[in-house]
Amino acid sequence: MPTLTIDNRPVTVPDGTKVITAAEQLGIMIPRFCYHPALGSVGACRVCAVGFKEGPIKGVEMSCMVDAQEGMVVATDDPDAVDLRKHVIELLMLHHPHDCPVCDEGGHCLLQDMTISGGHGRRRYAGAKRTHLDQDLGPLVQHEMNRCIQCYRCSRFYQQFCGYRDLGVTGIGTRVYFGRSEPGTLESPFSGNLTDICPTGVYTDKPSRFYGRRWDYERAPSVCIHCSLGCSLTVSARYRKAVRHEARFNAQVNGHFICDRGRYAYAYASQPERPRDALIAGRPATLAQAATQMSERLAAIEKGTGPDGIALMGSARSSLETQALLARLHSEKGWRTPCFSADDAATRVVSSALNTLNATNTIALTEIEGADTVLLVGADPIGEAPMLALALRQAQRDGSRIITVDPRPVTLPCAHDHIAVSGDDLATAVAHLIIGALEPSREIALDADQQDRFKTLKQETRDIPAAAELRAIGHALTTAWRPAFVCGTTVPDPDVPPLMGLLQALVQTSCMWSGLFFPLPGANTFGAHCLGGSDALFEPLLAAVEAGQVKALVVVENDLFSEYPDQQRLAAALESLELLVVMDCVPSAITARADIFLPTQTIYEAGGHYLNNEGRLQVATPVIAGGLSIMDTGGGNHPPREFREDIPGGTPRPAWQYVAGLATGETDPPDVKPLLDEALTAGVADGERVSLPSASREWPSIERIGAGPEGDAGGLTLIESAATFGSEPLAAFSTVLAELTPLFGVTVHSETAQRLGWRAGDRIVIPDSAPALEVVVTLDDRAAPGVLLVPRRIGIDRTALRRYMAHLLAE
Amino acid sequence: MLRPRGAFFERTIEPLELHVSEALIEKLKNEIAAVEHPRELAVDVMMALQDHHGYLSDAARDQAAELLGMSALEVDELATFYTFIFREPVGRYVIHVCDSLICWMAGEENIVDHLRQQLQIDFGQTTADGLFTLLPVCCIGYCDRAPAILVNRRVHGPLTNSRLDELLQKYRAEAAEKPGSNV
Amino acid sequence: MYPQVLFQHRKPDRINTFAEYREQGGYSALSDVIAGADPAAVIATIDDAQLLGRGGAGFPAGRKLMTVAQDAPHPRYLICNADEMEPGTFKDRVLLHADPHLLIEGMAIVAYTVRARHGIIFIRPEYENAARILEREIRLAREAGFLGEKIHDSDFSFEIVVHRSGGRYICGEVTALISALEGCRPNPRKAPPYPTDKGLWQQPTVLNNVETLAYVPLIVRHGAQWFRDLALTESAAGTKLFSISGHVNKPGCYEVPLGVPLSEMIENCCGGMRDGRPFKGCLPGGASTGFLSAEHYHIPMDYESLKAVGNRLGTGAVMVFDDTTCMVAATLNLTNFFARESCGWCTPCREGFPYLKDLLYRLENGMADGDWIGQVETLCGHLYKAYCAFAPGGVAPIESLLANFGEEVQAHIDLGGCPMQRQ
Ligand SMILES: Cc1cc2nc3c(=O)[nH]c(=O)nc-3n(C[C@H](O)[C@H](O)[C@H](O)COP(=O)(O)O)c2cc1C
Ligand code: SF4
Ligand code: SF4
Ligand code: SF4
Ligand code: FES
Ligand code: FES
Repeated sequence: MPTLTIDNRPVTVPDGTKVITAAEQLGIMIPRFCYHPALGSVGACRVCAVGFKEGPIKGVEMSCMVDAQEGMVVATDDPDAVDLRKHVIELLMLHHPHDCPVCDEGGHCLLQDMTISGGHGRRRYAGAKRTHLDQDLGPLVQHEMNRCIQCYRCSRFYQQFCGYRDLGVTGIGTRVYFGRSEPGTLESPFSGNLTDICPTGVYTDKPSRFYGRRWDYERAPSVCIHCSLGCSLTVSARYRKAVRHEARFNAQVNGHFICDRGRYAYAYASQPERPRDALIAGRPATLAQAATQMSERLAAIEKGTGPDGIALMGSARSSLETQALLARLHSEKGWRTPCFSADDAATRVVSSALNTLNATNTIALTEIEGADTVLLVGADPIGEAPMLALALRQAQRDGSRIITVDPRPVTLPCAHDHIAVSGDDLATAVAHLIIGALEPSREIALDADQQDRFKTLKQETRDIPAAAELRAIGHALTTAWRPAFVCGTTVPDPDVPPLMGLLQALVQTSCMWSGLFFPLPGANTFGAHCLGGSDALFEPLLAAVEAGQVKALVVVENDLFSEYPDQQRLAAALESLELLVVMDCVPSAITARADIFLPTQTIYEAGGHYLNNEGRLQVATPVIAGGLSIMDTGGGNHPPREFREDIPGGTPRPAWQYVAGLATGETDPPDVKPLLDEALTAGVADGERVSLPSASREWPSIERIGAGPEGDAGGLTLIESAATFGSEPLAAFSTVLAELTPLFGVTVHSETAQRLGWRAGDRIVIPDSAPALEVVVTLDDRAAPGVLLVPRRIGIDRTALRRYMAHLLAE
Repeated sequence: MLRPRGAFFERTIEPLELHVSEALIEKLKNEIAAVEHPRELAVDVMMALQDHHGYLSDAARDQAAELLGMSALEVDELATFYTFIFREPVGRYVIHVCDSLICWMAGEENIVDHLRQQLQIDFGQTTADGLFTLLPVCCIGYCDRAPAILVNRRVHGPLTNSRLDELLQKYRAEAAEKPGSNV
Repeated sequence: MYPQVLFQHRKPDRINTFAEYREQGGYSALSDVIAGADPAAVIATIDDAQLLGRGGAGFPAGRKLMTVAQDAPHPRYLICNADEMEPGTFKDRVLLHADPHLLIEGMAIVAYTVRARHGIIFIRPEYENAARILEREIRLAREAGFLGEKIHDSDFSFEIVVHRSGGRYICGEVTALISALEGCRPNPRKAPPYPTDKGLWQQPTVLNNVETLAYVPLIVRHGAQWFRDLALTESAAGTKLFSISGHVNKPGCYEVPLGVPLSEMIENCCGGMRDGRPFKGCLPGGASTGFLSAEHYHIPMDYESLKAVGNRLGTGAVMVFDDTTCMVAATLNLTNFFARESCGWCTPCREGFPYLKDLLYRLENGMADGDWIGQVETLCGHLYKAYCAFAPGGVAPIESLLANFGEEVQAHIDLGGCPMQRQ
């Protein structure tokens, strides 16, 4: 821990800290272009020069390249250093096009700031400017190469940090060029971060291009609700329209970056199709009329059937406020326990996963970067939780071994060992890992009871093709210092997470640190689990509707059709209801069927609390009041010429207000904080993890490890799983992301393809599908044989697809 | 084979193969297989394909990428760095005129003027008959033979105008004799 | 006239063949060493001989070998730097065409001292002939059992491959060369770690110039004292290959004891100044050394003497100018080289050299205005803060132009252009 002096003030920093970082701790921001805390030091720009007065190094040196050492005396205002910095800025401006007036970076541009603060104002170089051609990099990122200052941040970020290989640096000398081989859409699902890390305006946010300056925007800290990781965002809005997400630093969750799904998902909130008015039987009504009718009709039904006749349906994308009020509605009114997902299979895995988490085994996303081995079972990060893939990449760059065990051909932007195991065998696969960890190891001591259980486990565990490999990995896990265990919650069956928990608990005894990480199906699945209880399944609810026991259903921010596979059955059941109330902020198949529809606010208007996949409580601040964008109402004129007291299109209210109104009859917002505290058992501070049970050493039940796969061993299974784009219900409305969503396709092992008579590139038109569905065949031998893998896709005819696949299975 | 009712199939057409001799590809594959890190052969592979095509065309770049297990961009990152890899079409004979100090002192400017006049092209251009491309180059390590030039990486010097004319004549004759091949 | 060591068996039109080399006692040093010499003792001999790196930086070769830790991991690499892209330099080429086995034997001995398994000769693409000669001669040496697995039934194995560059000056810089060999963009990397610790593929790597390595068999054969005594001056050791070019009657590559005066080299080796014109100046060691003016015509050519006048011996590429040369135009030419070859990694070099080139162009063509000298001086000063040694090298001619030919610069400013073109 050296102590050094910077600008006459002492500071003590850990070994290996660069002087530029040490200075930050004193609040001194040494200028920098190429240095970035996530990308490290490379010494390319030379703008961080400082004077070293005393100590092991003397003279002007780069503060990003020098490790802080005991006794150093550093002056950031050393005249020679200041002169060098000034000249470096002058040199960087030689070829700059001076197009700040039309540059979207203007106003938050590091180069602008440095040019001003460095005092460069007069051009002395009389030579010609070097110019470049720009490239079309796709719908997300705008390219303007002439503004480049060659800091190499983009190529380092894109290739080294993210592991993608289609953007980099070409050319030499003053002609170095940052871009792709040819114009074309960037392949990385993290490409939007280029707009954040480029210190000038080479990469700017394309969808919000020319919409405003940084200072024009209303900006607020928020949370990404487009997967369960809950990355931190800053939302920018202008003219009543959210137009930009930027990554907000969060040391526990997302670090400095976010994924493109999260960055470009906001379009649903301002899409023209967004329902903004209340509807009664499909006809516009005032909010008051709709709310009154809702209360009256529910009361009437309740009178007839008792409280059991009314069911509540929430969702994993609602805020904790909405979820908590639904839970309270149930407890106050006695209506049926709210159910938060129509996908019971997933709900079962989620509850077994979350019941496995405890106060000591739960880890945060960035902690995975420090793991030396990461085992992923039934998890496909790029599709389910994109930023997890970046964390894995950082671990791998540090020498960590990454192992994926999955029926899907999991691809990661880093080297990893993949073991294809069919979905039914995942529990058995983890059992083999456990056997491998225990068998030859002397490190893990078992007591007598555990010995017994281990014996049973060994007897029960069936042989599978990858058994030997898995056991070897299991054994290797006992020699890891910092192993992390990741388990998905959509593909595995409910036995898998507890078995992963057991494996982790066993390995824990022989390593320094380890932990569990479970990506969940929705942004607030954790909240739903806490508030809904694990017994609230959809299938019984549906049966009760069909049986006529439930006469009224209140659906809050959930398009059941995208979660429940059998569309016809669902449609018929809904048809049989006396009253279907739907509250939502996006149009959907179920919105159209509502007897009463209430428009809800989005996260940008309502804000809200969310629990991410590890139970971290995070808060989104409202950024706009709501209403149609001035850009739309003004018809291009600004300000709009029509004067009125309310905001056009400003009818929607937060969903929890409607729910609260049903409980209390009031429409005033209740204070949800005490409700939350009650629901979550303790007062958790924003940004902290909710309290989890303390660790138990119980062995989980092991029902499925012995059972063979259902059907015959050579059977086919259909796996629908989340893809980066097109699967998440809100982001699916983003037109720019729609451009990036690949053609709908099925991926199979070549053996399986041969059995089915398919070849790569075949297009299958699914019979009787509406809208007509075409499926492209892709072969991938990293998939488990027998698996038909399709992405979860909002808006496709899943019934027809399933019918067709079932027909294949039958044949 | 399953042909579900109502479903129809479409087949994608396989992309056209690049016309590079099997033997060359085989040789490169073997060389790559023999080393621990395929990337270390990047320059050799690019040069080999370039010698075959005359320049490293997009298709050749893609082929190099495939052979080396690199992305097209990663190959471009290297290809565009080096002096002797051409990512644009060049003539059958690439004339590199050394313009560094010693050759400049020995009359490089005269050489260039003479070539410009004889070939009717400027630096960076190729003659209409596709025979010659003219490029400047840094000291090629033959200062004892200044002024010196390279023709297809072969050195010639010291040069005079008449020696230059002889050279051009020789290459023109060679091209007439063996059209279409510069290897 | 001078004792010939590397060029002892140089022939006008062909290489010294493998058979001839062996008859002359070649490979005996390698055989002796492999027969059981203590690597540390061999390194000590090289160190004692005071052999300085001939690639330009003049780093003691023995000391470099000592920095490879005893317990450093394997495999270890030995790289021969035959990139030779420093303008004016062609000694390595001549040496490779004269006696390639000196290099091959030298590499094998050096590899033995550090237990390197793999040898790589990194050669510029213009030297295709030399590359082919090397490949052929390496094969001969291997067939004769001097390279390959378990040489002479010892436990020492060593292979050499020839790696052709794609052609760029920066590739000759150690760390950029390693990047290039790894198939990455040849940008330099900052030490630490030093290549001898983590070099090629993150393994211990020794890198030396062709000429440096070629001296090793002779030093091992004849001893350190013999080598030191070859030089004329007290502080220097050995002979040196000088590539002499420019306004002399017989440009070429000459082996001369270190310490021979510049004037003697020009008169004795090169047959004097061309057309008998007066000596105006020279670059003593390639494009990245400073101009010497006529006052230093008799300077002893060795590392120390040049250091004493604020210059460097560099690669020993002596580029000679007579009184017809405009030093501003010469500097412009050199700066054009550095502007073209800058790798583009760091700001001062990437943008600074084109800027300086523009300023020199303006001076030469009568467009210099404002505080021309001041502007050039500051820019040059800041180029010392570039990322690698390329930039300080490129600044040397410009700074020495101002220091040694200040009057000529002033004449350009005063006259509004080049005085020589006016004549
Ligand atoms: C820009 C630059 C170019 C260089 N080019 C060469 C070269 O072409 N050949 C060479 O032997 N050394 C070259 N060097 C010097 C090497 O970096 C290194 O010091 C040398 O090869 C070490 O070998 P030695 O100790 O035997 O001299 C260059 C250095 C720099 C900074
Ligand atoms: S494009 Fe931006 S990030 Fe990339 S090098 Fe240029 S200035 Fe830096
Ligand atoms: S990883 Fe998930 S939470 Fe993070 S930005 Fe992407 S979609 Fe949003
Ligand atoms: S000094 Fe020049 S050659 Fe060296 S790293 Fe910087 S730009 Fe590259
Ligand atoms: S920030 Fe230190 S050199 Fe760029
Ligand atoms: S200057 Fe032309 S070959 Fe050296």
